[in-house]
Amino acid sequence: MDLINDLLKIIGDFIAGIINSIFGFSPFLADLVTMGLAAVMLCTFAALSFMGLTYVERKVVARIQDRVGPNQAGPFGLLQPIADGIKMFTKEDTTPATADRWVYNLAPLVIAVFALTTYAVLPFAPGVVGTNLNVGVFYIIAMGSGSIVAIIMAGWGSNNKYALLGAFRTVAQLVGYEVPMLLNVLPVVMITGSLSLVDIINQQTTLNGNPGIPFIVFFPFSALVFLISGIAETGRSPFDLLEAESEIVAGFHVEYSGMKFALFFLGEYVNALAVAFVFSTLFLGGYAGPVLPPYIWLMLKAAVVFFIFMWLRGTLPRVRVDQMHNLNWKFFVPVSIVHLVVVMALMKLFVTSPALAQANGGVLVTPGAQAAILFVASLLILIGSLAVVARRARILRLQEAAVLEQRRAENIAAVSA
Amino acid sequence: MTNSEIMTIHQALFIVMALAVLGSAIFVVTTSNLFRAALMLILTFFGIAGLFVLLDIGLFAVAQVLIYIGAISILIIFAVMLTRGMQGMVPRNSQAVAAAVTAGIIFAVLLLLFGPFRVTVDVARWPVFSLFAGNASPRDVGGIAWTPPNQPIPAMPETYIADFGRSLVDGNQYLLPFLLIAFLVDVVLAGAIFIARQRRPAEIIEDRRRQAEEAAEEAEAMRQAGMTPDVAPLPEGAVASTAEH
Repeated sequence: MDLINDLLKIIGDFIAGIINSIFGFSPFLADLVTMGLAAVMLCTFAALSFMGLTYVERKVVARIQDRVGPNQAGPFGLLQPIADGIKMFTKEDTTPATADRWVYNLAPLVIAVFALTTYAVLPFAPGVVGTNLNVGVFYIIAMGSGSIVAIIMAGWGSNNKYALLGAFRTVAQLVGYEVPMLLNVLPVVMITGSLSLVDIINQQTTLNGNPGIPFIVFFPFSALVFLISGIAETGRSPFDLLEAESEIVAGFHVEYSGMKFALFFLGEYVNALAVAFVFSTLFLGGYAGPVLPPYIWLMLKAAVVFFIFMWLRGTLPRVRVDQMHNLNWKFFVPVSIVHLVVVMALMKLFVTSPALAQANGGVLVTPGAQAAILFVASLLILIGSLAVVARRARILRLQEAAVLEQRRAENIAAVSA
Repeated sequence: MTNSEIMTIHQALFIVMALAVLGSAIFVVTTSNLFRAALMLILTFFGIAGLFVLLDIGLFAVAQVLIYIGAISILIIFAVMLTRGMQGMVPRNSQAVAAAVTAGIIFAVLLLLFGPFRVTVDVARWPVFSLFAGNASPRDVGGIAWTPPNQPIPAMPETYIADFGRSLVDGNQYLLPFLLIAFLVDVVLAGAIFIARQRRPAEIIEDRRRQAEEAAEEAEAMRQAGMTPDVAPLPEGAVASTAEH
């Protein structure tokens, strides 16, 4: 049972042991090679899951839209990603004549690098983590904001007005949605008291020795907003305004073809998968779970979250630019701030550790009671804000309908006159 | 891992980072292509983040990436792209000489303040130096040893993030600067919203009316002075379109 549970760690230790025995003369060199190998393995994992996800996404979206999806290459079309890869490799690699060559060629690399660096801090199982940074959450969000630079480089370097428009949209969207994302990571960080992802998982596994409660129970509002902002951050449908085919052709990557385009595609999927992993880690308890081995649990949780992404992609139409910004700045950000303040006050008021209660005052409650209080508060804020938005939307809709009705009456009058 | 080896790795990494920072910084000020200059500035920021990592302050490194690369350089790029023509014309830097002189002066002052050269200044004539020289030796500036100390540098305590956070809300430490900066940011935000806010239709109509009145008055005054107005009053649409955006 231990062999299966700690499989990843045992394999890792085994490889590290081999490398240590080869490079026994220099521990520094051994460390370097081990870390390099770990980095290569993480990147390979990300790239392989990108291959698999393209196939699964096409199949799922096809089923949602009452189609069959890829079914020609291999059994059930399973070889489709390989066929796509060969197609990408053999495509002509074009560069626009007036492009800024350096910027144009570096952009896909930068986006792939920023997407892959996120995986360095993700814990896959107990003890299996690239590096347990004490600023892990912060690091992930910072690396996510780095891809803005790559997209601007692509948009500018292509010397194409659609590409530049896509880059402009990207900046407005990604910079904007970073704010609610950060604001909704904060409750989790506050209750854990640490920015490290491993600490956050540990807090959800054993809450002062008791069976763990995932943070989605504590902060349902934060979980929902984080998920939606995550989709917007990675530029996936319904927030794929940066590459809206019907409006700006294909946005920032309109001039790219072949492997350079594939790198952008990889960046998008790897980022989306990273968001799924981070969501599972922050709100669903990460690799913690009964019976099954930890890495399987993490994969299952991430798969469920990614399925939600695909589901939304298959069902929702693309939002308009103004709708996207209104949702962010007029709903997510103010309500997130209110939620943060309320949750902060409640966490000060109802504490779980006797030492803290002694030092700062507050009511001593069990972790379960604290979770219940926070859950009710978070849910009330969610329902209350949604009610306000729904009423406001209804008023706007009625006004719009009245205007349309008036115009129609005028038109009829004009025609009959 | 022996101690000397650690030193070597750190020194090697430091040299790589410092070269990246210096090289990209020189590129920023020497290139005439403003957009590439902004991109190289990002590389400079990244190198500085790397230096923070070498100093064992991961928090500052990540904050550097998030704030300087993710926000400030994006703003700079936006300013570059929006102020000069978007397409065709590549923006050029026409103030290279002024920038070089300014940078040289700043570098000289920094070298004077933090360099190994001890300079005696007459504080009575240059009172500004009393700000930097401190009370210990008000007439001497600089003279800071650049050779590394022999004893190992103490590692960052594990709780430095929490300590940093607490120091920001501690009245004896950095509460006042923190609040002042927060206030400043608030004022800037409010100002930005005030300037960029969408004007209400009533205000737009009022603006248009006032502008038309002014134009009419001006024309009347010119007619009375015996001149023909050389500028036609603004058309209605022009005022509306500038007010709306």
